[in-house]
Amino acid sequence: MSPGSQLLNTLEHGGIAQAMRDSMWLYPAVETVHIVGFIILVGSVIMFDLRVLGLSRRVPVSMLARHLLPWGASALILIVPAGLLMFSSDAGNLVGNRAFVLKMLLLMLAGTNAAAFHMGVFRTVSKWDQGMVAPLAARLHAGVSLLLWLGIVTCGRMIAYA
Amino acid sequence: MRKLSVISLLVTSLVALPVAAHHGWSSYDNDKPLTLTGNVVEASYTYPHGTIKLDTGGKTWLAVLAPPSRMSARGLSSEDLKAGVQATVEGYPNRDDPSEMRAERITIGGKTTELR
Repeated sequence: MSPGSQLLNTLEHGGIAQAMRDSMWLYPAVETVHIVGFIILVGSVIMFDLRVLGLSRRVPVSMLARHLLPWGASALILIVPAGLLMFSSDAGNLVGNRAFVLKMLLLMLAGTNAAAFHMGVFRTVSKWDQGMVAPLAARLHAGVSLLLWLGIVTCGRMIAYA
Repeated sequence: MRKLSVISLLVTSLVALPVAAHHGWSSYDNDKPLTLTGNVVEASYTYPHGTIKLDTGGKTWLAVLAPPSRMSARGLSSEDLKAGVQATVEGYPNRDDPSEMRAERITIGGKTTELR
């Protein structure tokens, strides 16, 4: 057994994973927490991306960022532990699930895209904060982000059917 | 407005792509309905879905059932689903694993429970 599959095996046979499988209400409850969390995160991301793409130009981008981004980041406190709990309950199968693997890949791309946006073109936001078209680089980041997050949600839903 | 239509086109195509690629339950072959009867040698009433190992005389199948909450709501309790009982499952074989099937319904002790 490789170290990787040994780790998955240990995770899957742990007490918490066992409880996730055996309890009548735990799995659906954790699933609901995961969903509530990503509604907040993905909702914030999509609203921000639409603004950068050119909708509601009267709203300053910097102000919207200050409002939405902390909500998105805080939602990770719900999303990540709930996701890890669900993962632990079926770890061995999930690593071979194409929708799950694609979702993880898209998540990494979305994170990289967001980091590149914030370290790059967002530094000049004061020049395009309100009432004007954002630079092409910003709009590209926003468009890519929108597509990636819709893909992530779709893949998440498809895990059950893949 | 033109921008909005470009966005919605991109969004639609992105959502449609993975759906087309997976086509719901693609790992099971809907063209080959299967009915198996045998002895339950192992049963798990667990999330994300219950399973049984069914000895059909010569071959042991793994039948994937439904989440425990759904089975319980439809009257199939963990007491009904246990090793030693005789069961009939109707469903579809896995395309990649010749000993696995997804059950649409299960009959135990004359009682049929829909699983989808």
